[in-house]
Amino acid sequence: MRAGVFLCECGGNISGVVDMERLAGHARSLDGVVAVSVSQFMCGTEGRALIEQAVEERGLDHVVVASCSPRFQGPTFERIGRELGLGENAVAFANIREGCSFVHRDEPERAQEKARLIVAGAVARARHMSDLPRRRTFLHRAALVVGGGIAGMTAAEELAGSGIDVHLVERQPSLGGYMARLAKTFPTEDCAMCSLAPRLTSTALEGRVHIHTLTEVEEIAGPPGEFRVRLRHKPRYVTEACVGCGECAEVCPVTVPSEYDFGVTGRTAVHRQFANAVPSTFAVDRRGSSPCRTACAVSTSAQGYVALVAAGRFDEAYRVAAEPNPFPSVCGRICTHLCESACTRGEVDEPVAIAALKRFVADTVGPTQEIRPAPRIHAERVAVVGAGPAGLTCARDLAALGYGVTVFEAQSVPGGMLRLGIPSYRLPHDVLQREIDQILALGVELRLEARAGRDFTVDGLLGDDGYAAVYLATGLQRSAPVELPGAELEGVRHAVELLREINLDGTPDAGEKAVVIGGGDVALDAARSLIRLQIGAGREPDVTLVYRRSEVEMPANAAELQEARDEGLKVELLVQPVAVVGEEGHVTGLRLLRCELGEPDDSGRREPLPVDGSDFMLAADAVVLAVGQALVEDFLEGCTGVEVEHGQIRIDRETLMTTRPGVFAGGDAAATGYYTAIEAVAAGRRGAAAIHNHLRGERLLPVWAADGEAARPSAAELAAVEGGQRTPMAVAEPESRRATWDEVNLGYTADQAMAEAARCLDCAVCSDCGSCARVCPSAAIDWDQTETVEDITVGAVILATGHKEFDAARKLPLGFGRFANVLTQSQVARLLSAAGPTEGELLRPSDGRPPRRVLMLQCVGSRDCTGSGNEHCSAICCLFATLHASLIKEHDPGVEVTVGYTDLRAPGKAHEEYYRRVQEKGVRYVRGRVGEIQEEADGSLTVRLENTMTGAKSEERYDLVVLSAGLEASDGTREIAGVAGVQTGAAGFIREFHPKLRPVDTQRAGMFVAGTAQGPKSIPDSIAQAKAAAARAMSMLSTGFAMTPAQVASSDLELCVACGVCETACPQGAVRLTAGAGAHSVVDPSICRGCGICAAECPTGAMQLGGFSDAELIAEATAS
Amino acid sequence: MSGERRIVAFCCRECAYAAADTSANARTALPPSVRLVLVPCTGRVGPLHLLRALADGADGVMVAGCLLGQCHYREGNFNAVDRVAFVRRLLESVGVEPERCRMFTMSAGEPPRFVAAVREMDRVIAALPPLPRSGDTAPAAGTTDAAVAGMGVA
Repeated sequence: MRAGVFLCECGGNISGVVDMERLAGHARSLDGVVAVSVSQFMCGTEGRALIEQAVEERGLDHVVVASCSPRFQGPTFERIGRELGLGENAVAFANIREGCSFVHRDEPERAQEKARLIVAGAVARARHMSDLPRRRTFLHRAALVVGGGIAGMTAAEELAGSGIDVHLVERQPSLGGYMARLAKTFPTEDCAMCSLAPRLTSTALEGRVHIHTLTEVEEIAGPPGEFRVRLRHKPRYVTEACVGCGECAEVCPVTVPSEYDFGVTGRTAVHRQFANAVPSTFAVDRRGSSPCRTACAVSTSAQGYVALVAAGRFDEAYRVAAEPNPFPSVCGRICTHLCESACTRGEVDEPVAIAALKRFVADTVGPTQEIRPAPRIHAERVAVVGAGPAGLTCARDLAALGYGVTVFEAQSVPGGMLRLGIPSYRLPHDVLQREIDQILALGVELRLEARAGRDFTVDGLLGDDGYAAVYLATGLQRSAPVELPGAELEGVRHAVELLREINLDGTPDAGEKAVVIGGGDVALDAARSLIRLQIGAGREPDVTLVYRRSEVEMPANAAELQEARDEGLKVELLVQPVAVVGEEGHVTGLRLLRCELGEPDDSGRREPLPVDGSDFMLAADAVVLAVGQALVEDFLEGCTGVEVEHGQIRIDRETLMTTRPGVFAGGDAAATGYYTAIEAVAAGRRGAAAIHNHLRGERLLPVWAADGEAARPSAAELAAVEGGQRTPMAVAEPESRRATWDEVNLGYTADQAMAEAARCLDCAVCSDCGSCARVCPSAAIDWDQTETVEDITVGAVILATGHKEFDAARKLPLGFGRFANVLTQSQVARLLSAAGPTEGELLRPSDGRPPRRVLMLQCVGSRDCTGSGNEHCSAICCLFATLHASLIKEHDPGVEVTVGYTDLRAPGKAHEEYYRRVQEKGVRYVRGRVGEIQEEADGSLTVRLENTMTGAKSEERYDLVVLSAGLEASDGTREIAGVAGVQTGAAGFIREFHPKLRPVDTQRAGMFVAGTAQGPKSIPDSIAQAKAAAARAMSMLSTGFAMTPAQVASSDLELCVACGVCETACPQGAVRLTAGAGAHSVVDPSICRGCGICAAECPTGAMQLGGFSDAELIAEATAS
Repeated sequence: MSGERRIVAFCCRECAYAAADTSANARTALPPSVRLVLVPCTGRVGPLHLLRALADGADGVMVAGCLLGQCHYREGNFNAVDRVAFVRRLLESVGVEPERCRMFTMSAGEPPRFVAAVREMDRVIAALPPLPRSGDTAPAAGTTDAAVAGMGVA
């Protein structure tokens, strides 16, 4: 080695502590050093000349520079080495400034020794440094700009103007960013939109700018010049056919706080952020499926009809409720309403009374519907066996699809269990009949008293009768056999049969003392029916319900249990029947054992365990068993090929077809458990879809709908909801109602329904009500849009993801979020905007009146070392407040405006002059600090203020307080920093490579930063920075090619044993093992980022990192 | 100069080295015992480097990397944590105080954390006797790389 050592005095910074001559003497004594020079400034021209001269005269092959940290001047000297033909990796650095003289100023002797050691280390390292290869790589002349605010748009246009294709990515539905939300801008007071709108238009028209709104950057991989970027496009649900007329927003029933307006007003689910939005296409804020919809067996958008009820639009609400379910009036009464169990409102107070609202719209609008026969499209006819909810729903859907449908029913009335299993005080027969009639009105033929296996056969239907398919929905019409001694006694009945007799207008004997065994809905129905029968027979009702477990485990609806108790039902819990006892063949009582609850079983219910010796007698002359139903298998007669298994018709779970082609089954008869009414409706819908698919020979309709994840409001949104209770429904008095079969629950009035519906929290925002699609003149609403992914390649990236306002609610004593009349400057910007919710008039939120006294408070969350705020000055707030104060004065000079500030900072061009002008308008500036704000009864605010100039404390009353909340990195800025792998600093802002010299470069080559993503700044500063970032990207991309870095890993084939550890270790995927014989690792230098993890992992020393080989590092570390 | 403690600090370019520059520019005094060696990532540092430094002149070695979860190369600093732990076990097994080898983490924006780490390391090493070593048996740098690297997978 022939090395030259060049010692820098750094104008005294180093030589003031270290004796340079002594250091030079030591350097000369080192092995391989052939030249030593000292310069006042090595980084200047003199330094370069010294190196040049020594290389030429002394034939140097290595240069050792002892100066400042290599992080500062390293690239300068490396470049000199390259230019002098020494190749890559010919310059070693001895950091004797930051590493020595700066930090040991008080210990010159020890500093001297350390400097010697540092120089010795660098010389030792130089001995092992050899040239490193570099490769040319292609640069993509395209750029990614993340963030569509003023900075991003400016950068995009600048790049496009120089012939570079730009992908401009914005996560919001429109470009515009923060500036689009401002009223006016300081110090000129020109309207923000007036200067922004032309830019929006020109950006949209610039052919080289590809605008991606509602899009997020998911991944950035690969080397500078060839970044591989993955974009994720969120569905807009509105196509480009949108003409921006806004009809959709007019009819959208959902209103949520507008993010664009900082929550000072609301917006609809389908919306456009502002009139000049780019693109002008509306967007639907659709956050998935609401929990009520997800919970519903037929995916009814309860949020949809609830929103429409709240808006008083009952006709449309009915449409939403009835479309998936032909029995809305029925289900509004007797549905198990899992929608309500899932309702998010239940986490705040009580779930929205969804079923009652469905009943309201169905009862109100249903009877007014005129149903016309559905047009017959297909030649095939389908037979449905069983006129219960499954069969009738299947018939409706098939008729609507254009098939001829005949429904066969064994009983004299249609409706199945809805008609025969539910007492009319819960579901009036006329309500059910109305909905059945509407199905029949579609052209469905109904044949009553036609029992399969007796009056006709399935074989006959498919044979001579010419039906193309059969749907078996015969239900479970028989009580399950019960193994209870004495069950055969006279006076013992099954609930299903009892209820059927009652519903066919019979009056069975209810005895004087009746006992019902069971804890489900059927048991309760039987018990309450018995009460009515006993009263009807002129007796005092005496009915007892016995149940094995406790009330918590009882499957019956809790509200109905209470209703039954109100009607006089006695309930014995934790008792198990042992036997029915009787005399002369007639029941006289029930023997029971008391139980206690054991451990929870598989279903989570606690198993009752009988207590020995606790048996007792309950006198009874009527006993009703409500313990399950079973299949009646008559229909199997003449039904070749259909198999029954475990009491259910066997079907293929995918096609719903039985073991006989063309015969399908659904409802209770083919379920794996008992179905509720809504599950039967769902089964019928699936059956119709399955039959249609079968007959048309294609999978045209989905049989099973995939459930999306339920959407819900954020925790913050939930916390802001004021608790209350659901609107109670009128109920008939127990005394009077139990003497009749009239309906118990009387339903909502229109006012009650609207009030109740207003409690909905709009979980999924868009309620899928479909109103917008119905009114859109250009059919632009497209529900089938899904998230898509797009991969692009760009050479450079500009991050312009902006800032957000500091969350003023974090400053508790200031009352933001708690007091209506405490706003932030951003909110006031919306109120002062001519295009804002108040058309530019400042009105206070509590009463909509113009305030007379306004206080603005500066430095909220800025210049704050308390821990709840940020340390930095947010730079724009003094002028932002001054601007708004001026605008308020302009509008009404009589309004008193006070600005409470910490220090008034107006250093920008013409800012101080502007501040003075506004002062002259009469705006009062007080250097003061606020202790606390209190809200008065009239909404005005009492502010305790300390004047920090005079020390005077005062208590003043204001109509409105405006907080100048500071700036923080936006969520997008924080997220993109992670995706792009760039560093962030205080408050989340992206760090620049060098605060002075490279202010728009990030730590990653090829990635630049612009605007408030880098730190708080004004609009002109953001624009200037955007242009600078664009220029940096241009200068990088203008050459068309780049060199791979020298500092990359490489593998020595001689030493590599192809263990693959390096391949696993590489975070970039730059290392691969070659295949076949002589396998070894290879590194792609255009992907390698030079971390050296592979080299440290390599067990043989084959893998080395250029510039940081084991030999180089060890030589430097062990120098003495 | 004999008797001077020597500590080698392998400092990540993304964080610790930058923090060192910042604190030095503010002229924050540091103990002269600690000499910095720049690495691109602490994931580059293997047991080889730490052990060779201790064998050939250092009384202590420290590795200063990014905060866990903030490595610029995903998890290089976690690798370093593992290797420092490995070296400490190795030292202990041959009767050398494990605290001679330590890992520190910090961000580039935390110069005080760097200063505290350096002072802490100096304080710990000052309390220990000088590390006995036999200079004449130390092999020349570069010839035993592969042999010592073998320890990395032991």
